[in-house]
Amino acid sequence: MLFFSFFKTLVDHSVTVELKNDISIRGTLKSVDQYLNIKLDDISVVDDLHYPHLSSVKNVFIRGSVVRYVHLPAGSVDTALLEDASRREAQQVTAKAKQ
Amino acid sequence: MAFFGFSQPNDPFAGLSGRPDGDDDALNFEDTYDGLGDQLDETDDAFNDDTFGSAPATQQNIGKDFDFSGQTAKISTTLQEEQMLYTARQPPPKAKPTVASKGPSRTGYERYVDPGYIPALEANASIWGVGPKKPEATVQERPDQSAGAHGSSRKMMSLEEVEAAMRSQSKKPVSLPDAQVSGSSSQMYEQQWHQQIPTPQQQLGVGEPAQILQRPHPPNVPMHPQFHQSLPQHGQPEFAARSQPSPQTQILQRQKPVAQDNFNRVPAPPHTITRAQPQSVQQQPQPRQILQNPQRLSGQGQPLSQHGHGFRQAEMHRAPPTGPSHGRVPSHHAVVTHPEQLLQLSEEDRAAFLVEDAKRAKRNHKILMLSRDNGLMTPQDKNFITRIQLQQLVTATGGVDDQGPEAALAEDFYYQVYSQIRGAPRQNPHQPASQFAQTYLFQTGGRYGPQGRRHPRGGDNHIQRMEQQVQRAVEAAKAKPKNKQLVIEGSLGKISFSNSKTPKPLLNIKRPDTSDMRQQLTGRQASRPENSPIADRRQVLRNIEGVYATLMRLEDHERHSPPHLNDSSDPSTIQEHKDWQQRLQSLNQSLWHQLKVMEPINPNSPTAHPFVAMLSHPKGKKAIPRVFRHIDNQQRLTILTMIVVHMDSLDVIAQAVPITEEPASLSRMVKEEVELFAQTVIPSVFGHINESPLGIITGLLGLVLERTNIPLVARTKIGLSLLTILISRAELLKQSNPEIDPAEWKQWMVDYDSLFDTLEPYLSLLFTTAINDAEDVYVWQFLAAMGVGASPEQQQRLVIGVKDRVMETVKVSRALPQEMASVRLGHVNLFMRAIGLDVDLLG
Repeated sequence: MLFFSFFKTLVDHSVTVELKNDISIRGTLKSVDQYLNIKLDDISVVDDLHYPHLSSVKNVFIRGSVVRYVHLPAGSVDTALLEDASRREAQQVTAKAKQ
Repeated sequence: MAFFGFSQPNDPFAGLSGRPDGDDDALNFEDTYDGLGDQLDETDDAFNDDTFGSAPATQQNIGKDFDFSGQTAKISTTLQEEQMLYTARQPPPKAKPTVASKGPSRTGYERYVDPGYIPALEANASIWGVGPKKPEATVQERPDQSAGAHGSSRKMMSLEEVEAAMRSQSKKPVSLPDAQVSGSSSQMYEQQWHQQIPTPQQQLGVGEPAQILQRPHPPNVPMHPQFHQSLPQHGQPEFAARSQPSPQTQILQRQKPVAQDNFNRVPAPPHTITRAQPQSVQQQPQPRQILQNPQRLSGQGQPLSQHGHGFRQAEMHRAPPTGPSHGRVPSHHAVVTHPEQLLQLSEEDRAAFLVEDAKRAKRNHKILMLSRDNGLMTPQDKNFITRIQLQQLVTATGGVDDQGPEAALAEDFYYQVYSQIRGAPRQNPHQPASQFAQTYLFQTGGRYGPQGRRHPRGGDNHIQRMEQQVQRAVEAAKAKPKNKQLVIEGSLGKISFSNSKTPKPLLNIKRPDTSDMRQQLTGRQASRPENSPIADRRQVLRNIEGVYATLMRLEDHERHSPPHLNDSSDPSTIQEHKDWQQRLQSLNQSLWHQLKVMEPINPNSPTAHPFVAMLSHPKGKKAIPRVFRHIDNQQRLTILTMIVVHMDSLDVIAQAVPITEEPASLSRMVKEEVELFAQTVIPSVFGHINESPLGIITGLLGLVLERTNIPLVARTKIGLSLLTILISRAELLKQSNPEIDPAEWKQWMVDYDSLFDTLEPYLSLLFTTAINDAEDVYVWQFLAAMGVGASPEQQQRLVIGVKDRVMETVKVSRALPQEMASVRLGHVNLFMRAIGLDVDLLG
């Protein structure tokens, strides 16, 4: 849930999604779900010369499993908070494991 | 044609009549304007709106038929009769009673209501010798007669009429003539129109104004039929359509066709409506009958007088309205209410009425389109879909409904807190998550609300049922057993369920028993030397994590703070508060323990003190401000003491001491650490020191002198900053509180002098950066703090110690741009002013 929670805060921010087939798509994150499927708006392909078939695509839905990286806008990531969130997540996992 | 036929040598309207050519040069108004307009009386414009309607005039709503009085007069007999008949026989129509009652005050037909008027009209009609029974002859004769009438009516044009002609030429006719007020101009309009109907647009405004002059208002009425009859047949429907906004007379004259036209034209998609939505038409009783009216064809071309006469006769002869002998009478009679109604409406009202009618038709059409698929889904189907959606919703939110907002925070911590800090993009983080379903339901209810009102039979009830169902669905989702696996007996595998919170695990690695793990761990630890750097580092990191875990528990605990106690608090609240305090205390103790501040200081230990070791990690540094919020003053002081005592073993000091004289010898990592320390620890320390009394300051400075290597510490940014904080605080205390304890102050002065003496040889070495580097402000700050508290003799020694740096900086800043120079000099001045000097004196 941490990543879901995290990506939710990036909604309406501009991100670059790098897919496992090496296409990098830059666009506004419109929504994300628990499978980290991603909806992007106003997209532009980073290396658009190589992917002309994407030149007229305006928005995409990306299945979470094909995402390799998501490049984040550093300014909208609260590192300290993210650290705490990961700690909580880790605590929950250990608590569950002990059960 | 008559307009151009004007033989006046100085025709003031020549330029105007040339306007349709579109030649802009000819339109210079000043050239053609001869001041005639100034003579017009424009003072009576106040009631123009009453006359013409307040709506802006457009080609459509003005229409083309303006001979209201004439047209009305032609059929006024019929009108009268019908009206009387109507009032005698029928109760007033229920449709639009208010609007209709409003009408008469403005219509201008009052005079025709006068019963005495009818005979005169009939007499006039007889002048033409039109036999009531010979319509064909009339039709034949009339064109000639009308031509004759026109021919005899030239060359007399009043100013009003000229003006009207001008208006007719102008692109935007300002007047929306009404039969009563602007009788003459409207007559002219009408006449022009009637004569030019086949090509109305081209010849608009070039009609025969002269004829108009001879058309007295009411007495001339009998003439009108001829004009009308001269119309070509094919022109009529179009004409009727155009005259729609002001069609009183038209309607009366040709009641059926026009009425039908009106109702056919006004709705946007006429055919669909009349066919598919009969009820829309039925709202007015007449149109339907009009459609079926057999008289329609005959009414179009027939002379009106005949029409009227025949009608009268029919009325006279007739006994009941549904007499079988008069095929058209019943329909005629039935239609009467309609034109009369329309007649009684004012221009605006009728326009409004028509617009409304169009709207209604449009809406009905829309409803029809929408209702095509009505009943495709049963309410059960809809509920089913809703339930699926809701279940999706419940799982999509990770089942945060389960344990309330606290669980939401646990599951969705980053998002919830982030939203709280930076402004929630969607919902309030502490909003109870169960409101999800509520919100959803509310929206649904709102959307179906109007429909529910329209069908009060089942609407609300249905919504209620759905709400209950949804409630049950949510509860069911909550109550769903949390079994993640289903092992079917006898099967080899197991089926694992997944939901959004716990996705189906693709790898199922058996976790070794915790006890086993611990044994292994202890075994490994035993096999390694106790103070190996790696184990040490792991331990430190673990300590830091422990601190963070406790910090988070503390913060969670603080959020659950019970309401503030007051005198009226009931015992349970007090008890709650007590428990809360107790828990807070235990958490604080736990935190304090995990900070390892109280671990014995072992000066000879090869490893750093655990607390200091924590501070050597970035996240350890970052923890300090948070820790300071949760500990009391005594604990803060203890931490401060620890920091001061271990000053030269702090990584930000020990590793930040410049090894060579070469500036920028510090690695990037060390610089980052220093920066981080300055941003996290120093503010906390500074905040605490600034609240400490002189005794503590003195004690801390004593510790520094006693336990640390001053020359080394002073060559680092952090060390110097800490010293600056201590010294400036003491100075501030002295200045703000003159009657300070002399003994304490004396003690401070001893320490101060000691520090001064220690540092004096190294004063010039304090500057670790090159002269061109502007990053030396902290040194000047320290020097300033020293200088303020120094004796005159010490000040002199200070100046001597840093004189070179001062001079160099001044020299360098002369070569710098204005802004940078002033910054550098400002830094130097920090120190110079502290000892009563100024850089400007050096210039």
